[in-house]
This record gives sequence, structure tokens and C-alpha cells, in this order.
Amino acid sequence: MQRNRPLSAQAISVLQALAADPAHWRYGYDLATEVHLKSGSLYPILIRLADRSLLETSWEPGEGSRPPRHLYRLTQAGREYVAALPAARADRTVSRPRNRLSEA
Amino acid sequence: MPLFTPLVCLLCMGLAALRHPAAADPATRDDAPLLLLRWAAGLLPAQREEWGQAMLGELDHIAGRARRWRFATGCAGAVLLVPPRGRAAAALWAITAMAAAGAGLYAWTGVRYGLGTSDWVLAAIALVVAVGYILVVGVQVRRPGVVLPGLVGGLLVAVAWLVPNGFTFYGLIVTVPHLWAPLLQVIVVPLVTGVAGTLWSGSAVTGRRIARLAALSAGVGVFLYGTLAIAVIGAAGAQIDATWTISANVADRLATNAVFYLWFLPVTTAALGWAAAAATARVRPRLATVAASTTPSSAGSIAAPSGRALNGRWSSRLLLACTVVGALVILAGVFLKG
Repeated sequence: MQRNRPLSAQAISVLQALAADPAHWRYGYDLATEVHLKSGSLYPILIRLADRSLLETSWEPGEGSRPPRHLYRLTQAGREYVAALPAARADRTVSRPRNRLSEA
Repeated sequence: MPLFTPLVCLLCMGLAALRHPAAADPATRDDAPLLLLRWAAGLLPAQREEWGQAMLGELDHIAGRARRWRFATGCAGAVLLVPPRGRAAAALWAITAMAAAGAGLYAWTGVRYGLGTSDWVLAAIALVVAVGYILVVGVQVRRPGVVLPGLVGGLLVAVAWLVPNGFTFYGLIVTVPHLWAPLLQVIVVPLVTGVAGTLWSGSAVTGRRIARLAALSAGVGVFLYGTLAIAVIGAAGAQIDATWTISANVADRLATNAVFYLWFLPVTTAALGWAAAAATARVRPRLATVAASTTPSSAGSIAAPSGRALNGRWSSRLLLACTVVGALVILAGVFLKG
């Protein structure tokens, strides 16, 4: 049985970064740079968000021999989740992002 | 018998170079962060494979050596911290428990018989080696199709090391086996493990991983059995030197047990199993093709062998021939002496 733990502060900061322009597809590295997360923290968060259907993914075809690139944006459920977040928690998570992998 | 180890390693180096001639060409090399991330992505379970490709795709768009390193090491760390599940987790916990039990028994026996400082240094080295094995097993069990054949192979290797001594504690410590026993343990069974693993999985790469897991699981298992035997029997039975104290006798047995089962058994089994898997792929090229296709795709491709690579191939053949001749000379010497 899958546990549905509350999302961590870092995961919420990723959701909020995606919610800034919900229709726009984002790259993983750009997201990591924006929310000041290391790749080792970002990808577990993205996996968890996708598992919870808060995030949808797509592939951008690679040019020539380059590999395809993964893209991310919020699903409708993700947008509703962000909209339902208490304002106080949202402010706190944006101002103090942490880098703990285990809380993804 | 330890003379076989360098020969076995040389044999494997030659076979490995024969299997990957293109690697000698610097034009086809990928940078270290890409290699690291490609390796880590291969550890993800099948249902997470897409995320490994996502990481590799992202790395391709990151410029700058330091940034690429930071990204690749972060992703690799995230992959390694994800605990294995199901059969893989069971295998990892079982081998960890065996290693911990072996280390605990070693320490208990050492305290009971009052080992000296140098003996404890050796025990510390054995502990570090055992921890290293657990880390390697933690990687191997994540690979698809490795756990079950690897553990079956490990059981086969362990049985081969225990049968010549009659499965008894006393026999394992005191009995000197016949000449056929080392040949079976060091050469025949590892070769069978490598070939069978390759044929079972249909891939030379997986066959090598199966041989590696078999070697480590057997080494840890037989080490535990041997340490238990020493803890039970102590200094009883034949002694190498009648003037030795009980403590020295037990210390010698513990050291021999650690060197043989934590170093000699895993190294020779993994190396010869690896060579056997490579040789099987040479005989059946389809197996090598299957293996290559399992590597995650990314920037960088396998190029045709260049002139430099072909020179490397001839060097490998020469190395291989020298190794085989050396092994035959040693084997002949052992037989004549026997």
C-alpha cells in the first residue's frame, strides 16, 4: 500500500515554480536552478509528484544524435493542489528552501 | 594456489580488452560525468527507466565540467539512495546479515582467544572488504535478471568449496583436500557459473554481473561458515606448528579463513566467471549484441574499431596467449609435484 505523506517544503517550492506558468513546459535543470535544489533532491521530488499525478511529463525530441529531453508541467490536480495551499506555508517554503533528499 | 589469482586477472584483462576494442580510441570516449550517470541510470528498476533517460537527457544540455559533475553526482546519489525492493532487497539483506554474522563471530572468537594487535588489524581489513562487498552487492542486485541466477550460482560455488571437506567444521579447517578440489573450485565452477549465467540471461553483460554476485554471495557465505567452524572448534585438531599457543593457532585459522573466503574465493570466481561470460559472447556474438543494447542511450555512440583499437586487439591476444601459457606451465608443475 502506497503511503501518501504530506509533501515536503522543497516539493511545494517545485510545485509553486511550475504554477507560475502552468501551461508552460519546464526543463529539470532550469527548475533546479530556480528553486535552488540539487539534482539529487530534484529528481526524487519530480518522481514523487508524477507518481501522485500532480505533474505530467513529456519528451522533447533531441536534435541529431542528442538524446531527448524531459519536460514537466502541472496537471489539473497539481494546479488545484497549489491553489489550495495555505498562504503562510507557501511564503515559508519559498523563503527557506531546504536540501534534504529524504523529505522529497 | 594463490599463484592462480594474478594469472586469472591477466586472463580476464585480455578477454575484456578483446571484448571492447573500441574503448582504446580516445575519440569515442565520453566524459566522466556522463559515464557515471549512465552507470547510475542502469541501476534504476524497469518502471523508473524513463527517469534515468531524463537525467541523461538533461546532462547533455549542461555545459561546464564542474556543473556537469555536480549534476551527475547528485543524480547518481539519488539513484543509489533509493532502497531496492522485492527479491533484490531480500538478497541484499540476506547477504548483509551473513556478513554481519561473520564479522560478529570473528570478533567474538578474537576476544575469546585474545588475538594480538596485528590480528585485529587484519580483522579490520577484512571488515572493510566485507563492507565493500555489501556495497557492490547493493549495486548488483538492482540490475534486472541478476538476483536469482546470481544467488543460485553463489550456492553452487559455496557447495563446491564445502563438498571436498565433507561439509563438517573439522573437515573445513583441518582436512587438506585432494588436488582435484582446487581445480574444481578455482577453475571449473567459476567457468560454469559465467557460461551458465550468460546463457540463462541471454546477455554477456548480465552474465558477468551474475558471476560477480555469485562470487560475493558465496565468499560471504563460506566465510561465515568457516568463522563459525573456528568459533566452535577453536584450536583443536592438527596444528601447523606444535610450538604455537592456542591463541596463535586460532589467529592463524581466522586469518586463513578471511584471506581464502573473503579474498581468494570471490576474486577468482568473479574474474573467471567474467572471462567465461566474455568467452561465451565471443562464441555466440548474438549475446554480446543483446548486452550492448541494454545500455541506456545517450550522447556518444560506439564507433567502428580504428587502427589503434585493432593494435589493442593484437596486444590483448598476445596477453591472453601469454597468460594461457603461464597457466598451463603452473598447472603442469602442480601436477608433476603432486
